[in-house]
Amino acid sequence: MGLVTGGASYHERTLADSPFSERITRGLYLPALAMGDLDGLDVVVVSDRQHPGVLVRHAPALLGVAERGDTLVVLGENRAQTWVPGARWEARPTNFWWWLEGLDPGIRPRNAEHPLWRTATAGDLTWHFHGVLHPPPGATPLLVAEGQGEDGVLLYEDEVSTPGRLVVTTLDPVYHHGSNFMPAATRCLDALLSWLSV
Amino acid sequence: MAEPVVLLTMGDDPRLLDHPAAWGVRALDCYDLSQAELEQAAAVLVGMHADQRHLAGMRPVLETFVASGGRLVVCGQVAIPFLAGLCRFCPLVDYHLEDLEVHAVRAHPVWAGVKTEDLTLRRGVAGFYGRGWHQPPPGAVVINGLGPRRLPVDFVYRMGAGEVLVHGGNDLWSSDEEGSTSARLVPQLLEWAAP
Repeated sequence: MGLVTGGASYHERTLADSPFSERITRGLYLPALAMGDLDGLDVVVVSDRQHPGVLVRHAPALLGVAERGDTLVVLGENRAQTWVPGARWEARPTNFWWWLEGLDPGIRPRNAEHPLWRTATAGDLTWHFHGVLHPPPGATPLLVAEGQGEDGVLLYEDEVSTPGRLVVTTLDPVYHHGSNFMPAATRCLDALLSWLSV
Repeated sequence: MAEPVVLLTMGDDPRLLDHPAAWGVRALDCYDLSQAELEQAAAVLVGMHADQRHLAGMRPVLETFVASGGRLVVCGQVAIPFLAGLCRFCPLVDYHLEDLEVHAVRAHPVWAGVKTEDLTLRRGVAGFYGRGWHQPPPGAVVINGLGPRRLPVDFVYRMGAGEVLVHGGNDLWSSDEEGSTSARLVPQLLEWAAP
């Protein structure tokens, strides 16, 4: 498994933090990504909050992972809609304080039989979000935000757009874990990497 | 005169530029940083999302800028020390509310009139301002400390003719809240950075 990072403190901390460091066989600093760096990896995880310009420059190489039949995971705040096939974005108002106000953010699991749910609970994947995704037809939604209109998707698995697999989420666990900010983000990252390591 | 304050950005749209006191602030992409870009600048702001690996490669540019009289503001948690005097961030572990309490150690114009309780709590929640500390270099002046041990969350130190201000938490320019004394932070920080 490779973890793509961008040199931010939380990227560096997550790369160094056990137990994640044991699962990650290769850290990949995106601004210096070179031909061949992604070879031989079954799973490539793009950490949340990459510089959008750098990301777009390296998008063809990253998407090549799914094109060759392997798994590309795109974590949140990476403007997936600008470079991941089939991903559409809908901005939604952010409520950072739902937990303080006793509100239900409406985040629900989907496809309960999916292997992700053997390692994760919806609670591990619940924090504020800035918008939702609408995946392409045939993709499997795993976490949604129920709203007044159409459900928005916060995490999905797409095995139809490429010969491999795209996992796309709005969640930004590397930032929140690596900034010592939110225990749920640590559990989220642990659950995601456990599932992806299987 | 060109811009007095340069804000390094990571391809995002910085909210600071909308602040009425930020008329003299210019956004500069972190990857466009160079000696030439700083020639007209009085101060540089480095935020919590900055690519510290890249900044470590730009260390001579940053140090020359400060040593020749510039002011550098570093916010966030340092994972890669990219400047003389910076150490890696030490997170608090198994902490309680009292460990997150901000205490004034020494007066400083950036925090003048800001109540420490307005820094400790946002909507009654502690931890936004700082969740750990950095070891300051010898000769540094600690301004605010966390918890009973006053672990340094804000400090300044001299480098040549210039000065570095470190805040080991979320960006100071996003720590202000309307109606709170923390609203003083942005104008006072910009005034200190480029008097």
